Amino acid sequence: MPFLTSFTNKLSIALVAAALVQPIGAAQPASSALTDEELIQQYRERCQIVLNKTVELTDPNDLSAGGMFNLAVCLHEGANLDWIRTRLVTANQPPAGAMFWMLPMVLFMEVAQDIEKDTGVAALTDEEWAFTRTLWRTYFPYRGDTENHWIMYYVSLYLVAEMFPDDGPERWYNGKSSAENMAEAREYIEDWIKITTSYGQGEYDSPNYIEEYTRPMALLAGWAKDPVLRKKGNMMMDYILLDYAVENINGLYGGAHSRVYPRYLVQPSLSAAAAHGWLFFNQGEYLSNGGNMVIALSGYTPPPILLRIAQDRSNPYVHRELKRTRWRLRNAGATAFEIDGKSTIPVYKYSYVHEDYILGSSQGGLLQPIQQQTWSLLWNEPKPKGISNTMFGVQPYSSPFEGTMYFSTDWDTVTDLISRSKVDYDSEDKLEGGSPYEQVSQHKAALIALYDIPEGTRFPLIHTYFSRDLKNREEDPSGWIFAQGGPIYIAYRPLAAGEWKPLDWTGLLKAGTGSYFTANSNPAAGFEPLAGGSESYVSYALQNGYIVQIASAKDYDSYAAFKSAVVALPLKISLKPTPSVTYTALDGAVLTAQYGKAFSINGAEVDFADWKLFDGPFAQAERESESLEMIHGQDRYLLDFKNARTETLSTTTK
Amino acid sequence: MKRHLSILTCLLLLALPLSAEDNPPEFKLFAALGMTKSQKASPLPTDSGVFLYDTLNQRWRRFGPTIQQVNSMAADPSNPANIFLACGNGIVRSQNNGKTWKMVTGWRESDITKIAVDPSNGQNVYAATAWGVVISRDGGDTWSEANTGLVEKLSKSIVVDHLNPTRLLVATTAGLFESMDSAASWEQVQSAPDIAILGLSRSLADTSLWVAGTEGGGVIISKDDGRTWKPSAPELSHANIYGVTTNPHDRRSMAAGGWTTGIWISTDGGAHWMNRSEGLPSMNVTKTAFDQTIPGRLWVSTFEEGTFYSDDLGETWRGDEIIKPGAAGSILGAFVVDLGFVPTTK
Repeated sequence: MPFLTSFTNKLSIALVAAALVQPIGAAQPASSALTDEELIQQYRERCQIVLNKTVELTDPNDLSAGGMFNLAVCLHEGANLDWIRTRLVTANQPPAGAMFWMLPMVLFMEVAQDIEKDTGVAALTDEEWAFTRTLWRTYFPYRGDTENHWIMYYVSLYLVAEMFPDDGPERWYNGKSSAENMAEAREYIEDWIKITTSYGQGEYDSPNYIEEYTRPMALLAGWAKDPVLRKKGNMMMDYILLDYAVENINGLYGGAHSRVYPRYLVQPSLSAAAAHGWLFFNQGEYLSNGGNMVIALSGYTPPPILLRIAQDRSNPYVHRELKRTRWRLRNAGATAFEIDGKSTIPVYKYSYVHEDYILGSSQGGLLQPIQQQTWSLLWNEPKPKGISNTMFGVQPYSSPFEGTMYFSTDWDTVTDLISRSKVDYDSEDKLEGGSPYEQVSQHKAALIALYDIPEGTRFPLIHTYFSRDLKNREEDPSGWIFAQGGPIYIAYRPLAAGEWKPLDWTGLLKAGTGSYFTANSNPAAGFEPLAGGSESYVSYALQNGYIVQIASAKDYDSYAAFKSAVVALPLKISLKPTPSVTYTALDGAVLTAQYGKAFSINGAEVDFADWKLFDGPFAQAERESESLEMIHGQDRYLLDFKNARTETLSTTTK
Repeated sequence: MKRHLSILTCLLLLALPLSAEDNPPEFKLFAALGMTKSQKASPLPTDSGVFLYDTLNQRWRRFGPTIQQVNSMAADPSNPANIFLACGNGIVRSQNNGKTWKMVTGWRESDITKIAVDPSNGQNVYAATAWGVVISRDGGDTWSEANTGLVEKLSKSIVVDHLNPTRLLVATTAGLFESMDSAASWEQVQSAPDIAILGLSRSLADTSLWVAGTEGGGVIISKDDGRTWKPSAPELSHANIYGVTTNPHDRRSMAAGGWTTGIWISTDGGAHWMNRSEGLPSMNVTKTAFDQTIPGRLWVSTFEEGTFYSDDLGETWRGDEIIKPGAAGSILGAFVVDLGFVPTTK
């Protein structure tokens, strides 16, 4: 049952919350100083802020704006009721958006039903119930073509079928009865959970798509009547948030990502993950977000260990993860394996998490179509809004080979169809995407990227993003490029010469889904507020690469001392016939990377064979285990999906 | 006209069970629309679904539900009221000529590209999908995978041999595969190239003649009922050919079209090919089909630039331009994923 469920108790809760709640964005005490109960209380206060802000931002005189998330929140809060009644109709004439319509509609219906159950007062008239119910008969939603589409579709279908369990096929768009729809949806949801907790997500660790998973899981956690699905929804919320928490830096999602839009690449503080970072980890600043609305209404409460893990950066650590690619339809490759008859290959993630930064990577290659971020650096900014506190590199690859690997669309139309939605896909200026000619290796704060690009490749170049918010960028005669980003020093050593190119995407992203790169807040402002003034270091050598070495500024007496230390490091570079590097990192490790060969550290090859699903000081999970153990100090929290149970193995509640 | 119709009726008798003999079916042209040129993102669909061509009024009319990403359509030859839509979501079936519909597949079946119904037993239904072949032995009520022997599963077309209904051919991205046991197992057709097969057509006028379009290998044809295949149309030898068709009223004529190629026609059994694209607004052909009822009429769908017909083997073209774009009856701007004929009830 959601913790805020009725009109009758709402006023008293709101009064208490108003007294407790601090100004939006104000920092609350660190988790280490608080008890579990205090952490939970603070979390609930932030949930109430989400609801209050949503009501505040709703204009009851505007009948053309406001989605079903907003309607659900207002209904829950008893606000703008006349607007809700009108907007319910106008927002659904006609219904559109497939699973993006289904999920918020279910939320609205669940909230309405809760109110009626708790108060005995009709939240909607009979006509309004009939209107919403009829939409599920007349509108035939698409199941979609991504992992997030499917889980939103099936969770929504399950819950609305559970709401009307006795309805026959004549009441449904797909001609199946409620019982049939529930059975099908449940089987898919269970299968998705099993695959995710056995092999990793295909759409892994996305700073913007994270909410396309937390939304449906929060729905299950909040409203599934079936106790097992409800429990598993709750556990998957814990699982997804842990996945984020271990690669979180002050409320931002670091490391390698399956999918991320340019907007969030250059300003991570705008992402859904940042909104979740504020809500769940008490970090960063409030950001209006549909996912947070669902969660705040659902009553889901994260285990306090999650917040402690997210906030604890007392010791730097290496964190490894095993994920997988999206299902491959063609040309799956030699390393492919099948799950449920569908091909995929493993994704090996490596992140070095420090209180001042996260440097994280995957192995490179075509791991996810369109929006892959193979590696990234985020540095810690106390107030990251408006700051482009990141660095990353791209080989801007696009081809029907990649498109048809992941989509059933034909060779000649796939690039066009992708580009209608992701308008930068077929541009050499793209800031995200995988490349088959890219190989990335990492050891703690040192990263080596190698490229061997064939002649005739559509965009025969590589580029690395240098933020406008870097300071003291210098090109050293040694070949190293140095810069300072917030609390860190950055050393970047291109293997082949390049040139600086200003970034200006104002014209590039003028249409398609990617257009909200600029259009979310102030379209007239264009690219400038996001990353205007940033530059790319572009190199056209086909055999190419770079080394990235990061250090915390506090570890050196001065910037000059850092630069001197890096320049003095032993380094051997060879570009022909394929790129290779032998580099002694700042921590003394000798790193050897050769394109097409295994990476070695101090002469020992890195072996991916035993890579675990989660492997770090805060999280452990074996491949195919369907379980995850969260670890913080003496605290252990186990998610056991096989048995749909959680277990607190030890506790040191403060 | 009468002579042609009688030939067609004879051919249909070969393909259909005796129950249809007393009531020979009519055929209707269908266009399966995946989307239109204004589509930007998959969750925000533009128009889609199946449209049937009203020959009398020269208009397209929507048939069945509005479902996003409809890839093809099929009907049971022995009972044309049983209709199947091949959709991104799965298979949607009507058992009453389109009055009501039901999605008959579950979450495991997805991205259906083509459906074929056994003409001798409508309980046997076969579907090519992006994830392999799925089959039903109960008229579509339940489905199971049938991928034994397939090298790659992504399949674009499937055909039941109406003279030997336990024999099927499936067009996959790894080549052409044949089953002699009702899809229980598949074997690669070795004489066909091991590249993606994009379209498949068997001549009803000469059942030993098959034509296939390939990805990067142009047109291939078989004159011995699919046992051996050879390249045809050397002008198209490296093209991606999405549409192939054989003329049910003329054993020697066939057509093929693909990306940037326009439409090519052969009237001598594939020995020579002619480019007959002049007058078409686009050289990007997605599908083509010879008319089942009007002898010699050839239909061509271009990528989002309209669907057209010619009654003079491509000398002149008519079609979407006669209907005002955007008006009811027009599918101008649609991405026609499949174009073909289905039997309908009178």
